[in-house]
Amino acid sequence: MNPSRHILQDFDAALESLRGDVLMMASLTDRNLQNAMGCLLDGNSQLCAVAVADEEEIDVLEKKIDNDGVEVLLRFQPVASDLRHVISTMKVSANLERVADQAVRIAQRSRKLTMPAVLEETHILGPMFVEATNLFRDSVRAFADENVTLARSIKSRDREIDQMNHDIADNLTDKMALFPSHITDYVNLIFIARHLERVGDHAKNIGEEAVYVAEAEDIRHRSNQLEVSH
Amino acid sequence: MIETPVIRPFSMPSSESILAKPEAEIAGKQAPAFEVRNLSLWYGDKQAIKDVTIDLPSKTVTAIIGPSGCGKSTFLRCLNRMHELVPRTRMTGEVLFRGENLYGAGVDPAVVRRRVGMIFQKSNPFPTMSIADNVIVGLKLNGVRNRRVLNERLEKSLRMAALWDEVKNDLDKPGVSLSGGQQQRLCIARAIAVEPEVVLMDEPASALDPIATMKIEELIRQLSTDYTIVIVTHNMQQASRVSDVTAFFYMGQLIEFDETRRLFTNPKEKQTEDYITGRFG
Repeated sequence: MNPSRHILQDFDAALESLRGDVLMMASLTDRNLQNAMGCLLDGNSQLCAVAVADEEEIDVLEKKIDNDGVEVLLRFQPVASDLRHVISTMKVSANLERVADQAVRIAQRSRKLTMPAVLEETHILGPMFVEATNLFRDSVRAFADENVTLARSIKSRDREIDQMNHDIADNLTDKMALFPSHITDYVNLIFIARHLERVGDHAKNIGEEAVYVAEAEDIRHRSNQLEVSH
Repeated sequence: MIETPVIRPFSMPSSESILAKPEAEIAGKQAPAFEVRNLSLWYGDKQAIKDVTIDLPSKTVTAIIGPSGCGKSTFLRCLNRMHELVPRTRMTGEVLFRGENLYGAGVDPAVVRRRVGMIFQKSNPFPTMSIADNVIVGLKLNGVRNRRVLNERLEKSLRMAALWDEVKNDLDKPGVSLSGGQQQRLCIARAIAVEPEVVLMDEPASALDPIATMKIEELIRQLSTDYTIVIVTHNMQQASRVSDVTAFFYMGQLIEFDETRRLFTNPKEKQTEDYITGRFG
């Protein structure tokens, strides 16, 4: 963040409010992920209900950030780093809302599991859950602190989560043949791994926004041959 | 293959030279129209421009932004020697226009100003003249008498200034009978009637309402296909809308010069960032 204050104090207040809201949203989303993890790994049905219920608060914040962002664009017509902050905050907020969606879906699928939560099949998701949560937290930290080094590391870590997803899917598919009575549970667990993989994708998006905010560099879709010329 | 540009000498004040466009434009839109080298300028003891070096590209809109007193209007006037009308002015450095020194020996300032026209903040149609005479007065002063040529140039200039449809039935009415926005477009028509190569604009829309401002901005974009335009503006949104490249001046110095999109999204200099984001006055 540029440490200098704006001549218009309302502009500073509006930007700080946007920042506060998106960090609050990140905090609530993180809590949602933790509740979903408790729901899955500990079989705590109360936490499942909390994860589902809390999403509403996150949705409200997403809409508030969009509205406030549009108002800042309209009233103050920001440029340079201010413009990047407003645009990226709105995009990060959309990613946070989708992470919260994934947490809710994990909670909903966890509730459907009939096998005890302590079983090994459930717990093979534990390391992936921890890694996805850590990646998500680091992406938010990179965005909040404009830590470009941390932000740039997230893309490769997301690929590790993708690999974990593949491994878990393979593992559970094998078990379907061995224990056909649990096929429904295995399918749900495969979907939960898929939701965690999506969390990693959103963390990657947030990391990309962190780089854009700090350095005005667009690092998205670097493997694509077609580049938008500026 | 890049063709060598044909340079019109400045000391050619015949009407023929005024009517003739340069036969070859400098190849490529980005070739510099002006090359300013180590330009400094003083009003008496006060230095208004400090060692500015910059290339202004041809057939491109260049915006000059900066706080009041930063030297941007003075710099603009150096591009067509208008500053020489201010007493006790002293200048060092050089300004090359298509490779020629604007301040070289034998260069006629009147011819410079014909090739490098200027639009001011306040529209200034000649109060006693009709709309038509306001547009063609420059041609008449330069000896053009052929009525057909004058009429053709009148219509062409008013069309290019996006004013023809609004005034074609009132050409004999006084120029000052038009609205503020129309008067400014009339001044633009007057400036382009003599077919300059460059149009300098010093806050051309700052006294106009939003609709008139948008018409001027649209006009600037259209004119940029044929003319090199340099515009001084306090309105940064306007600079970002109409210009291709932007120069930021502060306290007489050129701080940053870059593509407009880049300067307004990712300026390199903190002084630029602080100014355009409103962090200092």
